[in-house]
Amino acid sequence: MSDPLFNKVLVANRGEIACRIMRTLTDMGISTVAIHHAAESKARHVQMADKAVEICGETPVAAHLDMGQIIEIARKLEVDAIHPGYGFLSENANFAAAVAEAGMTFIGPDAETIALMGDKISARNFAEKHNVAVAPSVMPTDDLEDFIEKAADIGYPLLIKAAAGGGGKGMSIVREAGALVEAARIASSEAQRYFGDGRVYAETFVDHPRHIEVQILGDGKGGAIHLFERECSVQRRFQKIIEEAPAANLSSELRDEICTSATRLAAAAHYKNAGTVEYILGADGRFFFLEMNTRLQVEHPVTEMITGIDLVRAQIEIAAGKGLPLPQSEVRTSGHAIECRICAENPEQDFMPETGVVRHLGVPEAEWLRFENALTHGQKITADFDPMLAKLVAHGPDRDAAIERSIAALGELALLGVKTNIDYLARLINHDAFRTAELHTGFIAQHRDDLAPKALNETERAQILAAAFLGFRQTRDLIVGTPEPHAAIGGWRN
Amino acid sequence: MRKIQSMISTASPDFRTYDAHNRRILTEFREKQETARHSRQQRDLDRLEKQGKMRPRERIEMLLDPGTPFLELSSLAANMAYDGGSPSASSIVGIGVVSGREVMIRADDPTIKGGAWYPLTIKKIVRALDIAIENRLPVIHLCDSAGGFLQLQSDLFPDKFMGGRIFRNQSILSKMGVKQLALVFGHCTAGGAYIPGLSDYNVIVRGTGAVFLGGPPLVKAATGEEVSVEELGGADMHTSVSGSCDYPASSEAEAIHIGREIVAQWERPKKWDCQRETPEDPAYDPDELYGIIPDDIKKHFDMREVIARMVDGSRFHEYQPNYGTTLICGFAHIWGYKVGILANNGVLFNDSSLKGAHFMELCNQNNTPLVFLQNITGYMIGREYERRGITKDGAKMIMAQSCSHVPKFTVMCNGSFGAGNYGMCGRAFDGRFMFCWPNHQIGVMGGDQAANTLAEVKINQMKRNGGVVDEAEVQKLWEETRSAYQEQLSAYYSTSQLWDDGIIDPVDTRNALGISISASLNAPLGDPGYGVFRF
Amino acid sequence: MGFQLILDGEEHDVAIVRRRPHLVLRIDGIQHEFSEIGGPGDGLHALKCGKHPIDFIRASDNERQIIRLGGRTFEVDLTDPFSEGMESGGNMDAVRSPMPGTVVSIQCKEGDTVVRGTPLVTIESMKLQTVLSAMREGTVAEILRAEGETFEKDAIIVMLEPETEKA
Repeated sequence: MSDPLFNKVLVANRGEIACRIMRTLTDMGISTVAIHHAAESKARHVQMADKAVEICGETPVAAHLDMGQIIEIARKLEVDAIHPGYGFLSENANFAAAVAEAGMTFIGPDAETIALMGDKISARNFAEKHNVAVAPSVMPTDDLEDFIEKAADIGYPLLIKAAAGGGGKGMSIVREAGALVEAARIASSEAQRYFGDGRVYAETFVDHPRHIEVQILGDGKGGAIHLFERECSVQRRFQKIIEEAPAANLSSELRDEICTSATRLAAAAHYKNAGTVEYILGADGRFFFLEMNTRLQVEHPVTEMITGIDLVRAQIEIAAGKGLPLPQSEVRTSGHAIECRICAENPEQDFMPETGVVRHLGVPEAEWLRFENALTHGQKITADFDPMLAKLVAHGPDRDAAIERSIAALGELALLGVKTNIDYLARLINHDAFRTAELHTGFIAQHRDDLAPKALNETERAQILAAAFLGFRQTRDLIVGTPEPHAAIGGWRN
Repeated sequence: MRKIQSMISTASPDFRTYDAHNRRILTEFREKQETARHSRQQRDLDRLEKQGKMRPRERIEMLLDPGTPFLELSSLAANMAYDGGSPSASSIVGIGVVSGREVMIRADDPTIKGGAWYPLTIKKIVRALDIAIENRLPVIHLCDSAGGFLQLQSDLFPDKFMGGRIFRNQSILSKMGVKQLALVFGHCTAGGAYIPGLSDYNVIVRGTGAVFLGGPPLVKAATGEEVSVEELGGADMHTSVSGSCDYPASSEAEAIHIGREIVAQWERPKKWDCQRETPEDPAYDPDELYGIIPDDIKKHFDMREVIARMVDGSRFHEYQPNYGTTLICGFAHIWGYKVGILANNGVLFNDSSLKGAHFMELCNQNNTPLVFLQNITGYMIGREYERRGITKDGAKMIMAQSCSHVPKFTVMCNGSFGAGNYGMCGRAFDGRFMFCWPNHQIGVMGGDQAANTLAEVKINQMKRNGGVVDEAEVQKLWEETRSAYQEQLSAYYSTSQLWDDGIIDPVDTRNALGISISASLNAPLGDPGYGVFRF
Repeated sequence: MGFQLILDGEEHDVAIVRRRPHLVLRIDGIQHEFSEIGGPGDGLHALKCGKHPIDFIRASDNERQIIRLGGRTFEVDLTDPFSEGMESGGNMDAVRSPMPGTVVSIQCKEGDTVVRGTPLVTIESMKLQTVLSAMREGTVAEILRAEGETFEKDAIIVMLEPETEKA
């Protein structure tokens, strides 16, 4: 093997994405450094890394957001590059700049690009300038009356969004004028809390929209390719829980239009490294630019599975100056992939987050299956981190096959000790409307009743109760601990 | 081991007659049992309910592990005493399984005169504790008694095996390391206070349970002090101040729950290794027993038919089948346990006595428990037999039996008369358990025989006095003797006096023996050895 | 003596009827015979009730059993009728957290009179903010958590004065 592109890379993240990134780094012969909070010293990403360093913070999340500490650790260990993963500091322009200043490579876009796309308002303006359609909107202002008036002009329903936000935080739908002020206030407060920037704006809310996004790679010199689209319409609380590639029922013209607009945007921004352009697609075929995410996304595996391209590898190569992995003309897709986000939550209680301990973990294996996770037996699932525990990604020759395989894998997957959405996702994928791809971002709300679990029949209930009865130590003892011949004689009286 | 070949036909007239007869006897038995167990004064039941108490049998059922057997002992104790004033001798005793452990359960019955102890109650309790000592069975006391039945105090207090023996037995059990748990559901007064006091663990129910050497009335009479039941000996005081009680419970159900948890802490006993195979039901239907025992105690029947309907697979390895044929000896399995069976098939002669003694020696040598199935009128008497040494031979059988170190179990199936009772492990011979069937009769000799003998004596007396033999007087004497005897011969009379551990349905014998044998294995075997055999 | 198991918030009665030749349980009044009961403890086991064995996965989570059977996961609890601190009936004095999280802001103070729906505390969990409101009218007795404090699910955040009998 030729010399590795980097000697040592620090993965400034945790959980499944840290494991996934390190897998490719190791394949490429690059030494890996993991960081972790004390609460996670036995985590899988720590075990996998060549070197692990503890980071300190008031909370585990705060530790992962401590730029200075992380860069200091990287410097001390003579790390060449830092991969930020997704979330945390991945879209923090200051961090990207600081890494570069410290003489290390930030595996991602330039700080300027991050800043440009990170500010939703400036991103929108940039998109508009480069002929990418954007939804009508109202910018925030100190004059609330004015804001409300202008919002009324757009018409309801409209969406309040955090200017500096993403990932569904700081968002809400407003359906009538009376609710606007309160919604704006809450969104602003959340935005201030998470993104340090309380600015919000309002834009048209497309009813029953589909969320379509395009994976792009840019070489930083104006060259960019797309790796086709993903559909991420199945969401709850504005967060994606099922993603697939390619999007179903898209005409090749529309697909081409959407994907090339993304490439156009990336090229215009001299975008470097991996990114995703997100769109809202209405039933009438009109699509609007939503935002651009300047990082590797959670759902990148579905693109990898239909294109055969390792996106993390591409990121590292681009960061090392090797340019794009292949020309657009050679990007092909094969089959269909579906990703299910396994989360610690209770779908029957409005997806309330759950905590617990991993008491049993049973993972299905197949050559068409990827189970991206960092789960270990006995691991505590706490409120410290995001409730997403793992990603189950299934590939098939077509969408129906991918659906069948996803259902089978979800059936085999056993994660006991914390409530999860595993069974819920299986029911969802099995739903007629999902099978026929009648997808939109309100899918879960619309089919709420259908997706509720079926009532158990008598026999099933008896089996479950018996299985549990035989597990409780005191009742099992009563069954197996009876001496002979009393056990054989049974309940006799004389 | 070969299967016994049954020779009877269930269609024969005799079978049908005997069957009808024995089922009538059984019905009578069950009716008496039902009355003894459940028939109570309404006001006593009402009072119990008002106090928030459960009936004693309900407490026992809640205490026992579900789906496990309960072998109740002496259910008809005191049935012919005190004018029926103390059914079951105001006490429920039996062997059951609690939290996976075999235990002896002994419960007071507060639905009879507040649970007061009659003399036979004390005898039953002492017997229960004797069984616990001999078999090393842990004991659970369910205490709820008003104390000794004062009207009969002289019969329950002073003598060696009266009231004090209960506490002596408790102390010895504790010394032996055999655990006792007391659940105090009612008052434990005076001597009764020592039952929880001498138990290793005790639980007391708040509000109804109380422990004191003297209750409030006695205290007031003795010292003038006025104090309530709760303050004097209630749950909170004893569990937090005096430490006489270990666990307070807010309800009877909770007390039982705590009791079960306590038992669950006890180590499982190490039993001695009796030979055991996989159990198998008898090949012949035990229900046929009703048609085998004749309707007249003088009629003979083949005990092999009884054995065939009691042992695993009806398989029996007979020892010396052609010698001493009036005593059947052989090996079989009951609920898997290997046992040596001695069963009467007629009068005991020299040869059968010797065979019995030898067989018992073989069982002792092999550490095989002994089961005696009695149907015996006695040893053969007469000049020829005396000359042959029937006295010596009977003595040898008694010597072997008395000195056996393996556990012994006796079932009195029909007749149990005279010295035959002795040789075949009667009550005096420390069998671990002794059961009888409802048709069973026991006496020095049979009713007719006694009547005849007494009549004979009377006639001789009259002759000596130089009088005329008065036929009418002899007849009257004969009838009086006979009916007095009949009453005292019956199984009900003997079980009333606790001369056995209970009348059981013949069909229940197999389970009773299985449970009894299992219980006996908790105690190690004694030392082998015999006295002098008069050869 | 039977047991009460709780599945999906409902109580079910389970009693042992027989152990040999097979285990027979009476579940909600109906007897079921199991010719196979699987081994003890956590892991993959099989039950056989009738012709076909049923695979299931069992894990114990403190006092609870988790069963995955037929592609669904269930939690079963064994009621302990004598455990301490079992409060019967609903208690509306305590305002509890529906999920684990942190206190964002406190909108009330001790002594405040509140009515049903008065916002008391804003909490946040998993980047979601929720307002906890009073479920009945009353007076705020005690605020048990401060701003910035974290708590587990079902923790009491605010206590109201207990309701007195209405005249």
